[in-house]
Amino acid sequence: MDIDHDAIPPDVPDEDRRFFLKQSMFIAGLSMAPVDFLQAALAPDDGPVGNAVKVKLSLTVNGKRRRISIDPRMTLLDVLRENMGLTGTKKGCDFGQCGACTVHVDGRRTLSCLTFAVMQHGSKVTTIEGLSDGEKLHPLQEAFIKHDGLQCGYCTPGQVMSGVACIREGHAGSAAEVREYMSGNLCRCGAYPNIVDAILEVKKEGAKV
Amino acid sequence: MKPFQYLRPKTIAEAISMATDYPEAQYIAGGTNLVELMKRGIASPSKLIDINHLPLKKIEHRYDRLRIGALALNSDVAKHKSVLSRQPLLAQALLAGASGQLRNMATVGGNLLQRTRCSYFYDLALPCNKRKPGTGCGAEAGINRTHAIFFAGNGFGGNEKSSCIAVHPSDMCVALAALDTEVVINGTSGERRVPLKDFHRLSTLQPELDTNLQPGELVTAIEVTDNAFAQHSHYLKVRDRASYAFALVSVAAALQMDGGRIWDARMALGGVAHKPWRYWAIDLMLRGQAPSEKLFREVAEHEMQSARATTQNAFKIKLTSNAIVAALKAATGIS
Amino acid sequence: MNRQSLDNPSDPSLSRVDGAAKVTGTATYSAEYAIPGLVHAVLVTSTIAKGSITAIDSREADAVPGVLAVISHINAMTIPGWPPKKQPAERVPPGTAFRVFYDSLIYFDGQPVAMVIAATHEQAMHAASLVRVTYQQEPHRTHFEKNIAHSGIPLNVQRAKNSPFQDYERGDAAALRDAHVRIEAEYTIPTQHHQPLEPHAIIAVWEAEDKLTVYDKNQGVKSAQGQLAQAFKLPRENVQVVATYIGGAFGSGIRVWPHTMAAVMAAKQLKLPVKLVLGREQMFTSVGYRPYTKQKISIGAVKDGRLAGIVHEGTGQTSMYEEHLERTVLASRALYACPHVATRYRLLPLDVNTPTWMRGPGDATGMFALESAMDELAYALKADPLEFRLKNYAESDPERNLPWSAKSLRECYELGAEKIGWKNRLPEPRSVKRNGMLLGYGMASSLYGFHRHPSKARAIMQADGSVIVQSATMDIGPGTGTAMTRIAAKVLGLNAKKVRFDLGHSALPDAPGQNGSSTIPSVGSAVHVACEALKSKLVALAGEMPEGRKSGGQLVVRNGRIFSSQDDKEGISYADILKYHYLNELEVTEESKSGAERDQYSMYSFGCHFVEVEVNPLTGEVRVTRAVTCADVGAIINYQTARSQSIGGVVGGIGMALMEHSEMDHRFGRYVTTDFASYHIPVHADVPPIEVYYIDKPDMQANPIGSKGLGEIAIVGVAAAIANAVFHATGKRVRELPITPDKLI
Repeated sequence: MDIDHDAIPPDVPDEDRRFFLKQSMFIAGLSMAPVDFLQAALAPDDGPVGNAVKVKLSLTVNGKRRRISIDPRMTLLDVLRENMGLTGTKKGCDFGQCGACTVHVDGRRTLSCLTFAVMQHGSKVTTIEGLSDGEKLHPLQEAFIKHDGLQCGYCTPGQVMSGVACIREGHAGSAAEVREYMSGNLCRCGAYPNIVDAILEVKKEGAKV
Repeated sequence: MKPFQYLRPKTIAEAISMATDYPEAQYIAGGTNLVELMKRGIASPSKLIDINHLPLKKIEHRYDRLRIGALALNSDVAKHKSVLSRQPLLAQALLAGASGQLRNMATVGGNLLQRTRCSYFYDLALPCNKRKPGTGCGAEAGINRTHAIFFAGNGFGGNEKSSCIAVHPSDMCVALAALDTEVVINGTSGERRVPLKDFHRLSTLQPELDTNLQPGELVTAIEVTDNAFAQHSHYLKVRDRASYAFALVSVAAALQMDGGRIWDARMALGGVAHKPWRYWAIDLMLRGQAPSEKLFREVAEHEMQSARATTQNAFKIKLTSNAIVAALKAATGIS
Repeated sequence: MNRQSLDNPSDPSLSRVDGAAKVTGTATYSAEYAIPGLVHAVLVTSTIAKGSITAIDSREADAVPGVLAVISHINAMTIPGWPPKKQPAERVPPGTAFRVFYDSLIYFDGQPVAMVIAATHEQAMHAASLVRVTYQQEPHRTHFEKNIAHSGIPLNVQRAKNSPFQDYERGDAAALRDAHVRIEAEYTIPTQHHQPLEPHAIIAVWEAEDKLTVYDKNQGVKSAQGQLAQAFKLPRENVQVVATYIGGAFGSGIRVWPHTMAAVMAAKQLKLPVKLVLGREQMFTSVGYRPYTKQKISIGAVKDGRLAGIVHEGTGQTSMYEEHLERTVLASRALYACPHVATRYRLLPLDVNTPTWMRGPGDATGMFALESAMDELAYALKADPLEFRLKNYAESDPERNLPWSAKSLRECYELGAEKIGWKNRLPEPRSVKRNGMLLGYGMASSLYGFHRHPSKARAIMQADGSVIVQSATMDIGPGTGTAMTRIAAKVLGLNAKKVRFDLGHSALPDAPGQNGSSTIPSVGSAVHVACEALKSKLVALAGEMPEGRKSGGQLVVRNGRIFSSQDDKEGISYADILKYHYLNELEVTEESKSGAERDQYSMYSFGCHFVEVEVNPLTGEVRVTRAVTCADVGAIINYQTARSQSIGGVVGGIGMALMEHSEMDHRFGRYVTTDFASYHIPVHADVPPIEVYYIDKPDMQANPIGSKGLGEIAIVGVAAAIANAVFHATGKRVRELPITPDKLI
């Protein structure tokens, strides 16, 4: 069976030449191309550029600028997992109801399943893979291990990212506050009390998060 | 999901002209509801107008009112100094809704426009007058434990083909409904203002319409007029789990008290109607009275006289009544 | 007595060996393998509960760019292990697993009817929404209460005289009739779903025409290997199943489900690696559930509080094509010393997908009824619920008339009562308020049968003195690798850092799937005996070395070194032994299984739960404010991970008691609660601090490590303890779960 490999989103993000080649072919073949798209295609620095098949955009992920061309329907979550190989961010429900896909966008905890990647053009995204300082784990990652704030591990990256944000936001003042502000992160194994302990300890010890 | 073209206007005028030029286009802000609707095939805009880069994030107090830009994030509003000092009820309601992550994404404008959580609306295989007018209301004789108990007029909102017993899911809007709120709307013919009570619709003949927003119009801000409720307001939310759940019933109570008596009272109820349900008569009933549980019980039951249960939600009548009592007790500080 | 709590551990615990991988996001789950050329599949599922497909129009779907195929019963490959298709299609007799894309018949709403495969997930999703399926609809039966008349003795039970699900009776029924106090009540639990955070997912790769590798979320790689090999008529070794990390399962991964077969078929037909991830809504009809179950209990006691009789009847729902049986009524035979006990178990086939085992299968359901009824009876007797249970304590197994291999339930009760402060509880219901909330305390017992299956483990000593231990066991979350590492490290006297444990791959030595709390008893024993055998080999080899010969055969193993005598300060390291014998590695594989002890003793894990609840008198909202859980599961292998498992069980029980409820609109036979916004599971704010205590007395009759299962008893009984506490707080007895505000106002 033949497959259209061009339709597969590229694993390698930098592929400007190929993109433009394809764009120009696409435009040439599209008699009904909307005017704004054609104009946009000529001004690539203004924002994400493209049409309903592909858009080109750039994101800074874990400190590294990545230029990608993707199907505009791709969520930030799917771009991270499918195109960038950053599978630490999890897809639990895909509807913003479980928190497993939590990442930081421009410093705020965000559900990556509920935002189209194209909307995040120019944003700075931090995923679980970018939280630690090389081999040195983030204090909350250490605390999760120490307090066993996990079992199956699937919700864990989201819990950690959310927990870090919870501390930074100033919502880790008490166990009750942590529970309320962490309630957007579901854990079916039931590691909640240990997660709360981990967050409170990091907050109490005052390590830089 | 149907393919769509992504558009990013730089000005409000550009956004409105895009939306006017392409009737099949939709604005997107936080995306917390729309992205889900698109994934499920309930919304399928062929053009998505990303308004996040429009200058509509500002929260400020001017003259006699608090003006909150439509793109202000729920979490930013909830912690804003002016909101906390002047309209704590709004902050309380915002924090009762969704989760830390969602509040970081969801905008005030999007919150106003979020669609119901009725399961029938979200399942393409089931009938739903709101999603597909004329297919019938799946919930009316189905699973309706969480559905409406207040309706337009005496009926369920029209005839069978147009009925909808879904409830509005927002917490923020319930607080805003209890306060004096105006929605600022921009369109091709300029700016207009709609009192919040007239912004959302009850499900009359067109349950597919949640609001009175016209095609192409853009919500640019809300404005809440100053009041004297800050000391005696309370948002109470009853739900099936302790957090991160939509309300079974919620109550926004805002009172002004002096010398042990109530001098002004506003109340709106959430989770009970197709829009935030304003309890209009409460001011008359409470004005000049000293707070007591007995009084609050009378007040609660008065409004419940016009409530009407469907097959599974009779409990909501009692629950709402109890919740009104609890909210008034909390707002007045009586035990 | 060696009572231990992690809150004050006298025994340090080993942190989860895969903790770092999980907190950094490097742990790879089934859908996350980077396989080159991967294509994406999306299922299209039925929107009717019964009938047949009359047409599938995939023209619009086919036209979507990137779409590679739309597979359905019309064009699906023939599975060699399945019987030839009948023309016209015939409904299968009960007892036949559902075969995906086999014929046009619809057995349940949500049944896979087609699958779209495309280059990208977005394309496949869009195309799936465009597949038009038309049906010939037939009247369906999905409503349990309305169809209860169709329930009956399971066919499996009719055929097997020695089935444990046969009707059971001991003693004289007159005893219950003549009891001084008697309660008769019905208890209902609704359908509940596992809903692990990781949706079920598979990547299927045909490496060659007759060679298959699947990266599949399941709880038993060996069992999956066997089932796939059988279906495709391949030698077992040609099928490899990889499931290193599993994002929770709770029973949903015990079987190979239709979606797994669908992905494997598609990969074969397209000759491409196929990835299929179930949508959250599909998780409600694809991977089983805890079945809707109705129970009736008649229970009575004589004046002094001794039980006179228990009659426990239960009926669970199943599908039209398969029987799912569970231990619903069985605990009533064994938990209490009661002269007269009768149990009856029935099934009600409905037009739904087949249920499956969900954490504490049967017992979590049955114990809600039994322990609620015990509580009701205690109140009727004006007895303390705990003292009432102690009065009826079974000193030996009253069902099998055998001694317990070990039972410290009494100690559990005492410990739990002490920690929750049971003696301060005022007996009168609805008598105490705290901060305006009604305050209540409740307790319930827990038990779960002992399961141990034949298991193998391989232990390989490396040249550097570190050891690799392997077994085809699983870790769906309890920390299998951590516990096994600890067992191996202890036997060999090594630092745990020098042990690596491999699991989750079908090429490893045989092990059972992870279910029925059997992993530690089964695989833990195998790891123990394999490491003992390895140690013996090392000792023998050391004995042949000059240092070893000095000992005269009395070698001492200590801290990972072998010494010629107690006074020997230096000793020989494992690495020295391998080096001396010119060995790169030294390997042993051992099997461990139960023996005659199973006929001499009755073996169970025991436990109990105590909870404190607050109920808002106006809104009916229930919050569990404290929970104490105590378990007697023999020896605790690793405190920290065991404690987490116990906490998780209580959290699952909070969900079961207070919120979990899969609701169906029976006009359509379709679930309407199909996401996490409508199917509630507990969130952080629902969960209080949970105290965990273990008796920690090894049960050496059970197995060489003296340890029994923990995963199930952690949840069994929790729902009853909460319901009992709610009664104590409010005076309202809720016999139908979940206990939502509408039931209390």
